Amino acid sequence: MATEQGHTGESGGLIARAGTWTENLSEQAYAYLLLTPGFLILLLMAFWPLGSAFRMSFFADQVVGTGRLGGFAGLENYVRLLTDTNALAPATFLDPSFQVPLLEQALFMTLLFAILSVVGETILGFLYAMLMKAEYRGRRAVRVLIIIPWAIPIVIQGMIFFLMFRPGYGLLTDPLQSIGLFSSLPLNTTFDGFVIVTVADVWKTSAFMALLILAGLESVNQDLYNVADVMGASRWQRFRYITFPLVFPVLMVAMLFRTMGALRVYGIIESTGVGCTTVPSMTCLVTQFMFGSSALYGSAAAASVLIAVVVGLFISVYLVFIKMSNQDLDLA
Amino acid sequence: MARVKLTDVTKTYDDVTAVNNMNLDLKDGEFITLVGPSGCGKSTTLETIAGLTKPTSGEILIGDREVTNLPPKDRGIAMVFQNIALFPHMDVYDNISFGLRLRDYPKEEVDERVEEAARFVELDGMLNRMPDEMSGGQRQRVAIARSIVREPDVFLMDEPLANLDAKLRVNMRTELQRLHKQLDTTIIYVTHNQAEAMTLSDRIAVLNTGELQQIASPLECYNQPNNRFVAGFIGSPSMNFAMSTVGEGRLETGGFDVDFDIAAVDGVGTGDRVEMGIRPEDIYLTENSEDALDPSDPIGVETDVLEPMGDQIFVYLKPLTAHDDTGMGEAEQREGLLMSVDPDTDIAEDQSVEVVFDRGQMHLFDADTGDALSHGVVKGTAATTESGEDSAQVD
Amino acid sequence: MSIDAQTHEDAETFDDRDDEESKSPIKQWADDWIRNPEKAYAVMLVFMGGVLLTTTLFPLYWLFAVAMAEPGQSNIPLIPNQIDLSAFIVIFQQVPFARFMFNSLFYATSVTVIVLLVASLAGYAFGRLDFRGKMPLLFSLLVLSFFPPATLFIPLFRAFNQQVPMLGVFTLPVELYRTPGAVIAPISAFAMPLAIFILTTFYSQIPDGLEDAARIEGTTRFGALFRVIVPLSAPGVATAGILTFITTYVEFFFSFLMTGDRASDWAPIVNGVLAFQTRYTTRYDLQAAASLVAIIPVAILVVVAQEKIISGLTQGALKE
Repeated sequence: MATEQGHTGESGGLIARAGTWTENLSEQAYAYLLLTPGFLILLLMAFWPLGSAFRMSFFADQVVGTGRLGGFAGLENYVRLLTDTNALAPATFLDPSFQVPLLEQALFMTLLFAILSVVGETILGFLYAMLMKAEYRGRRAVRVLIIIPWAIPIVIQGMIFFLMFRPGYGLLTDPLQSIGLFSSLPLNTTFDGFVIVTVADVWKTSAFMALLILAGLESVNQDLYNVADVMGASRWQRFRYITFPLVFPVLMVAMLFRTMGALRVYGIIESTGVGCTTVPSMTCLVTQFMFGSSALYGSAAAASVLIAVVVGLFISVYLVFIKMSNQDLDLA
Repeated sequence: MARVKLTDVTKTYDDVTAVNNMNLDLKDGEFITLVGPSGCGKSTTLETIAGLTKPTSGEILIGDREVTNLPPKDRGIAMVFQNIALFPHMDVYDNISFGLRLRDYPKEEVDERVEEAARFVELDGMLNRMPDEMSGGQRQRVAIARSIVREPDVFLMDEPLANLDAKLRVNMRTELQRLHKQLDTTIIYVTHNQAEAMTLSDRIAVLNTGELQQIASPLECYNQPNNRFVAGFIGSPSMNFAMSTVGEGRLETGGFDVDFDIAAVDGVGTGDRVEMGIRPEDIYLTENSEDALDPSDPIGVETDVLEPMGDQIFVYLKPLTAHDDTGMGEAEQREGLLMSVDPDTDIAEDQSVEVVFDRGQMHLFDADTGDALSHGVVKGTAATTESGEDSAQVD
Repeated sequence: MSIDAQTHEDAETFDDRDDEESKSPIKQWADDWIRNPEKAYAVMLVFMGGVLLTTTLFPLYWLFAVAMAEPGQSNIPLIPNQIDLSAFIVIFQQVPFARFMFNSLFYATSVTVIVLLVASLAGYAFGRLDFRGKMPLLFSLLVLSFFPPATLFIPLFRAFNQQVPMLGVFTLPVELYRTPGAVIAPISAFAMPLAIFILTTFYSQIPDGLEDAARIEGTTRFGALFRVIVPLSAPGVATAGILTFITTYVEFFFSFLMTGDRASDWAPIVNGVLAFQTRYTTRYDLQAAASLVAIIPVAILVVVAQEKIISGLTQGALKE
């Protein structure tokens, strides 16, 4: 035992001493200690900004001078945004009279974008995932090739599609125009720009979707397939009765993640050269309020709060749907 | 090597008391087993000794040191876990030497000690294997080597054999006995398997609902259980119990009466409710009644199911008659008895037989508290709990 | 998929026929497939794979084709007229592109290290400890991800650039804007919730016995976290790390808006690619070449780590 006593502590250093001190904390105190660094960063860089933005949204815009807030304005910023009565607004958030075309209203444009891109990404992602799952030589390479678009910086993603559709330069402008699908200036036309942005987004994020779905596919117990084979299930039946129901929860989570991302779309709009003036997403509105000719912080904050509200609503719908479908699956 | 002393140790979680006022005093070098059904607090007790859980109140001594608030690493203990808990990302050498390396032992000494420990558990030559390349028994040996390599004062073992298959469990049991003999270190062993408890320990501590029921040698727990719980928990198959009323010179249960001398038991009067207990091996067929120390009058019963075990036959018995004046529920009245007889006994199912109880081995428990009133109900040899040694002298 | 939909009963009835020779080749082919769905499946897979890979790879190929084009050329052909790799060298000569890349990689690495370290502590607390307020705190992390970066951006921009007091209590030094800190801090906060979720799931799956064993053997609780729990959760840590790295590398908002335009101002790759755009001319070939170069680091990461990402996500990240 003498030897045991001879070597005490891990090294006697400061860290070791701190470690020993934590030993005598209760579980509760220890948990709070461990959470402190993370929540300190979050408090300064996330929770405080959120609270601050929320507060700003109730203050009037100060047109003259940069970076200032006007007096307390109550819900006026919100009312103006939702009734399209903000004279300084770079684009419409929502026009209740529907005089403005749907795609030029930030709310509907973003919703449509989110629905189309998420549906496209889910279908493509599922196909990619099946391709990544099947066993064949060279699967590793195929997996890498499928994942790579996801890792490409948004600017470069935008660059690619900009170069494809730039009039007189891009490969796809002329053919698409000649079949009457696109105008001669696709990057400056709202509909064309919307399509380009959606395609660009689907191209990049299908890969991420595929990753999540693949994870779901891989975690399906392979024995179930053997059981199905013994029972004489066809490949379609295997998919219909085993793969799909078991992957469904993962699919829902993946779609939830992607919908949250799609509702906040901004980077790809700017980087494809389509630009916020042509395709005004909700986040576009926020940045334009901020960095436009005059910095309208109150309206910018109000718009960003509205985005969070829309995202929150979507998430609630998803959660309710997931809950309901779980019950359905249990019954089946 | 050290003694371990627990004084009034209590551990409560939100609204559950896992360990209630535990007092244990273990001698240096003793092999003690904490035994009880799951949820009885035996593992929590072990965790408080290990330092993995802080007791809500009470004091723990290891050697002469109070360790109640020391972290596990400073208590001079080693522990073997039920799920073996080898670090899967380390090979055998790294697993065994983990504790030594944390304490900055010189490399040569680590090597030397690891090899010695590996040799002790017969794992030399396997130091480079990864845990997932080994069998369950080998893994458990690594865990034991990991615990002995630091030469701790106290070994703690939390159901170390529970995850092994039956044959391996018996082998490892013998190895643990050898380990204890050679190391002569205090070992605190937790199990719900009473065969392990009986064969390994110097003393058994029987726990139930967080409270210590009895701490005594295995034989004493078997022959003089403190209360109904210990009587039922120790011994396999379990003791037969029957609620009964003390009548004139006899015990009246729902299904049968046993004659006994009321004067032989202190503090029991006619009309009292007591619970009678008798082990299967203390029931004899009338023709073998000479084997009993003090046979009761014959009791008529009917055989039900036979379970031949090879070395003995378990016979389930149904009482022939049922009294209605006992005031007991119907289920209790129907409760059968289990008797064990020699394998060559001539006996068949659904047969009327007469049996006798060995009154020298009959136990009486208080009907309400379950406390033992008497071990043996014969005049002259009867013994209360306080003078429990007496009934052992009968044979 | 339609061929796959054939049930086995159908296949058996076809098996009974024996007048094979009378059929046309196409019919034989179809019968062959119906009888051997595996074969049909393989063909479908190859076809589908081809189509999918083409759509994945074409945009990248297009970037390459543009990079091969001559400066100022319009109507880029599908197949380059020449293989001229000079653009890949020019980009490093014309602007400090290496520095832009270094800046982006520096952001990604720093954020990853910070997030893994801090999220490990939080993930341990959430995954392995019981404490009051656990659910509300976890929920607050989820709510954070409702908000677009833009929402966080306004107050942060004011705090970093206009010295509006944070929490109404203290102001940040004016020098902080246009330093890496102004990018790393907000992105860390933004990437942290996901990392915490992933690590929480992984850490909670490590059996208690292993942590107990480590503590008995001589580590502190804190030591057990880094000696046992983190190494055993390697796939989860790798997944969280890679996701954070890539999220930061591709990030657009903070790295673009919180920095200046010049490489020496810690501007990220975004500015590097845009640097070939001047008021009068834009060298698309150089932009394309620069884009391809900028993809290389993450492409390497994907090649090296794809198995880790997939196994990490499979093992736990999605079980919540």
